[in-house]
Amino acid sequence: MKLGKLLDKVLLAISRRPNSIDVISSFTAVIFGLLFGFIVMLIINPGAAPQGLATIIFGPFQRGMRGIGDTIFYAVPIIFTGLSVAFAFRTGLFNIGAAGQMFIGSFVAVYIGINWGFLGPFHWPVAVLGAMLAGGVWGAIPGLLKAFRNVHEVVSSIMLNYVAVHLVSILIRSQIYDSARGRAYSVESTSHMPTWFLSDIFPRSSINIGFFLAILAVIIVHIVLNRTAFGYELKSVGFNRDAARYAGMNEKRNIILSFTIAGLLSGIAGALVYLRPGISMATAEVPPEAGFTGIAIALLGLSAPVGVLVAGLFYGLIDRGGYFAQSLFREEIVSIIIAVIIYFSALSLFTKHLIAKFIRRRVKRDVELQESKGEIK
Amino acid sequence: MEHAIEMLNITKEFPGIKANDNVSLRVRKGEIHALLGENGAGKTTLMSILFGLYRADEGEIRLNGERVHIRNPNDANDYGIGMVHQHFKLVNRFTVAENIVLGAEDTRRGFLVYDKAIARIKELSEKYKLNIDPYARVRDISVGHQQRVEILKMLYRDAEILILDEPTASLTPQEIDELMGILQTLSDEGKSVVFITHKLEEIRRVADRVTILRDGEQVGTVEVAETSNEELAKMMVGREVVFRIDKTHAVGDQPVLEAENLRVYSHTFRKDVVRDVSFDVRAGEILVIAGIEGNGQSELIYGLVGLNPLTHGRIRLNGEDITNSSIRERSLHGISHIPEDRQRHGLILDFPLEYNMILQSYFQPPFQHRGFLQFDQIRNHTQRLIENFDVRSSSGPTSLARSLSGGNQQKAILAREIDRNNNLLIAVQPTRGLDVGAIESIHKHLIAERDDNKAVLIVSYDLNEVFTLADRILVIYEGQNVGILDPRETTESELGLYMSGSKRADAA
Amino acid sequence: MIVDIFNEIVSILSYVIPVMVALLIVSLGGLFSERSGVINIALEGIMVMGGFVGAMSMYLMLYIIGLPIQLAVFLAFIVGALVGAGFSFFHAFASVSMQSNQIISATALNLFATALGLFVARTFFGYRRINVDESYRFDVPFLSEIPILGDLLFKNAFLSTYIGIVLLIVVIVILYKTRFGLRLRSCGENPHAADSLGVDVGRMRYAGVMISGLLAGLGGVVFMIAFQNRFESDVRGFGFLALALLISGQWRPQRIFLISILFALMRVVASRGDSIMGLRALEVPTDFFRMLPYILTLVVLAFTSKHSRAPEAIGEPYDTGKR
Repeated sequence: MKLGKLLDKVLLAISRRPNSIDVISSFTAVIFGLLFGFIVMLIINPGAAPQGLATIIFGPFQRGMRGIGDTIFYAVPIIFTGLSVAFAFRTGLFNIGAAGQMFIGSFVAVYIGINWGFLGPFHWPVAVLGAMLAGGVWGAIPGLLKAFRNVHEVVSSIMLNYVAVHLVSILIRSQIYDSARGRAYSVESTSHMPTWFLSDIFPRSSINIGFFLAILAVIIVHIVLNRTAFGYELKSVGFNRDAARYAGMNEKRNIILSFTIAGLLSGIAGALVYLRPGISMATAEVPPEAGFTGIAIALLGLSAPVGVLVAGLFYGLIDRGGYFAQSLFREEIVSIIIAVIIYFSALSLFTKHLIAKFIRRRVKRDVELQESKGEIK
Repeated sequence: MEHAIEMLNITKEFPGIKANDNVSLRVRKGEIHALLGENGAGKTTLMSILFGLYRADEGEIRLNGERVHIRNPNDANDYGIGMVHQHFKLVNRFTVAENIVLGAEDTRRGFLVYDKAIARIKELSEKYKLNIDPYARVRDISVGHQQRVEILKMLYRDAEILILDEPTASLTPQEIDELMGILQTLSDEGKSVVFITHKLEEIRRVADRVTILRDGEQVGTVEVAETSNEELAKMMVGREVVFRIDKTHAVGDQPVLEAENLRVYSHTFRKDVVRDVSFDVRAGEILVIAGIEGNGQSELIYGLVGLNPLTHGRIRLNGEDITNSSIRERSLHGISHIPEDRQRHGLILDFPLEYNMILQSYFQPPFQHRGFLQFDQIRNHTQRLIENFDVRSSSGPTSLARSLSGGNQQKAILAREIDRNNNLLIAVQPTRGLDVGAIESIHKHLIAERDDNKAVLIVSYDLNEVFTLADRILVIYEGQNVGILDPRETTESELGLYMSGSKRADAA
Repeated sequence: MIVDIFNEIVSILSYVIPVMVALLIVSLGGLFSERSGVINIALEGIMVMGGFVGAMSMYLMLYIIGLPIQLAVFLAFIVGALVGAGFSFFHAFASVSMQSNQIISATALNLFATALGLFVARTFFGYRRINVDESYRFDVPFLSEIPILGDLLFKNAFLSTYIGIVLLIVVIVILYKTRFGLRLRSCGENPHAADSLGVDVGRMRYAGVMISGLLAGLGGVVFMIAFQNRFESDVRGFGFLALALLISGQWRPQRIFLISILFALMRVVASRGDSIMGLRALEVPTDFFRMLPYILTLVVLAFTSKHSRAPEAIGEPYDTGKR
């Protein structure tokens, strides 16, 4: 009885803020994902499963500042691809091409990182900028195809992902190939992202100022989408292309711009993966997974920039957690969890209706009850 | 007399609305029975119950005196009930024969065979004078023929009861004539036909009896031969139909919009559907474009506001040539446009009301400053419009446009368009689907605009509205200007003759 | 000289045909799903899943039970197909029953399959792959003696080749000559029309998606056997290539068949270009040929989208409540 009343109170509060239903559905997806991962672990090794799950979620914290720093570091590229997908979502587009845009960005960043050492202190900013522009150009293609040839952006982006994969492989082999090692040369240290004071706070962690770039990007995307006339226009086109045209907006230009901006963000993600010590770019046959993880992050973050930041950090957490849990379970368990989360995010568009319906019924009953009491008085 | 259909005391409630309230419908065998009512009167709901798409909350259905339960369209088919929906349910890429046999295919050793079906289709087509080629692809045949394919689908399934939902809405006048003939033949062959309409003329031409619904309630069932159109209209709208409301006649002076020899192409029909139309709209007058829906009116307006390109012609606004101007330039030059499809063009349903009120002016001060939206200004602006135009919503400026009722959505668009600094107000079907109260309020606002010396151009398919508002009437038929009339010297039946193409002014 | 060229062609074709068959099978699978109205970009993931379980069962049958190779292959095909159908159920459930976004659901399946394949392979086999390295080619008795034709089709052949050819014919017949095919296509074109005539749209779409899973799962095993001799956590974008084939073939099996030859040729040139006379001299990077099919598809998309032959209702969830 008391519990029921409490539930009603909570539900009433939720129903007043429609956004909270979305938040609940995101949490539900995460819980299902973790639960599924736990079941897989139980099947593989029942004894170690509880510890495995705990390590995946809390592992990075147990490693102190280094673990937290690494969590942030691995979250950053995903925050960028997540922002890219979210930005496109908010303007009515599905950017499944983040992977390709990212890969193109990576190549340009690495190319600049290897060859343009003469830039000195400007080396890394130019590399990031170059990656960003390259991602933007790549992103503009599905935009152009959609605007002028009415080609569905999902299909063209999928094709472009693979064009990017093979194009970059050609370019790596012909431009920056270290045949002794079978991969690209390493980038110059001047092109490494600076760590500033972060290396003092998070000793021995890989964290760098990419995190500040991510926060900056979150703020800028938030402002553009929610505060500017430009964002208003992009969203108008996204929600209702016909109405936007009726209102005199140039819907073709806006579609192309939306996609270009999404590409810019993915391009930065591509740069941040490689502008650091201890990694060099290899050719590939499939697009980088981070592009698709971005879809998960955008969904979980409800396509809101701040939500993407939070969801991205959560991803960084379980990604590192999976790494730390490797002695118990292979780290792909995290990808499995992410995949299940995406699946339940897809379902959540529907489960949300169910939650909303359930709440409405209870709240309605509540209100009616109160009204009838009022009449008695 | 034997009744083919008896729907007795049907009640159907949807959240927030009683679509049918204790309605009864009795259709005799072999009769053509019309179901008359305004938009939202509950006609389609009632027929959907008969066809098994909805289930009634209360009441019963009897077919040939026997009580039946129709749970889904398959049951309806089994009972010999067929329905032609307003939007045809045809597979464009399939042939006529494939469309007809779908769901009732003949097979031999597991493989499809069409010989029997095609013979049957040809036979039915001949018997009912449908003139249908079973091998044609549906996408290649006209709308009128597509409708016949729908009718054939029912006949192929031995339907004895045929329901048609506003069958003439998208037909040309000739096609309407032919359809009426087909309905007559069906009835002669003993089929019972129920058709939904709000056009009195059609009822008079073919229906034996008519049942009138208003606001979900049944007003009555009458023999068509024993009633006048005036009586029917009165039953439909629930009041004496006032053909003239208090409005002074105005004569405009200065031409605001001048259109010369406009031709506009339609992608749907792959031809020019507006053909050499010329006219002007003057400051301080209301020009109403009258005509049957689908005679090029929508495309004409799209051409004027820039949504469709012109294939030919010139447009001037206040003497300035805007033929090649963009939509935005035209809007900034002073064209306001209340669009035909308010949900597709007029509003962004997922935006709050306040965002919808700045749809064309978001980039102008005071709503924008250095690239940023000025939310206080937007809120105040919306608040003011809400009050002035009595737009009702659950939470004011922040309510989602989607959550507003149709009437309030339209008032919001009206408010936005009137409030903008315009010289020319274009409104297409400004009152379609609205209740009487909203209609009156919108009409008053439109007349007030005229009295404010604006030029007002209205497209209406509703004769009542034409006469209520017009200072001049331009009649359009098959994309051509067939006459400009003075409403004071024109009767409704005369206008009807122009609209149906049987009369045209020589010097149009 | 002529004999050399002939031998060269035969040797190229002996590589092209198995690749073509794998592509064709998966693409025909996609055809069923998309013709029923459900976009299926999960072909890649379903292939991975089929290939992965197929490889495990091959491993079991060959090295633990010790079945003869061709029997094991045949059984692995069945296993892969069933696994594919089962896995695709989740896509059908999300897109048909839950009316979810079909792209998101399929993306989840793609990620899941790769992750699970890798996870299990590494957990149980210790590597990122499952090795089932055998010689799967065989000569068909008698038929391989026929001149020319025997060399092309019956010598050094894969079992999958014959399955693929039979499937192509069966698919065309099912799609265009049976009641099921007509109804399936009607659901992809206009589900409202289908529903109004008593066709169960939901069931048809489940069938479409799950048949696509069946074929893609089978395709995954075919790919593993004919192309890699091992399972390697992904199928090198082959599922997306099959999707590209489906689009380039404009959703029609005959065209898909023709273009599959072209796509397979490009793929073979990409991986074995060095061994083909004349190509070495061109010095075109092999990745160029891998890229070509996707570019070709983009070109097809750009020039057909206004008159696309895509099923008209593709990607639209069908809500029976809204009819």
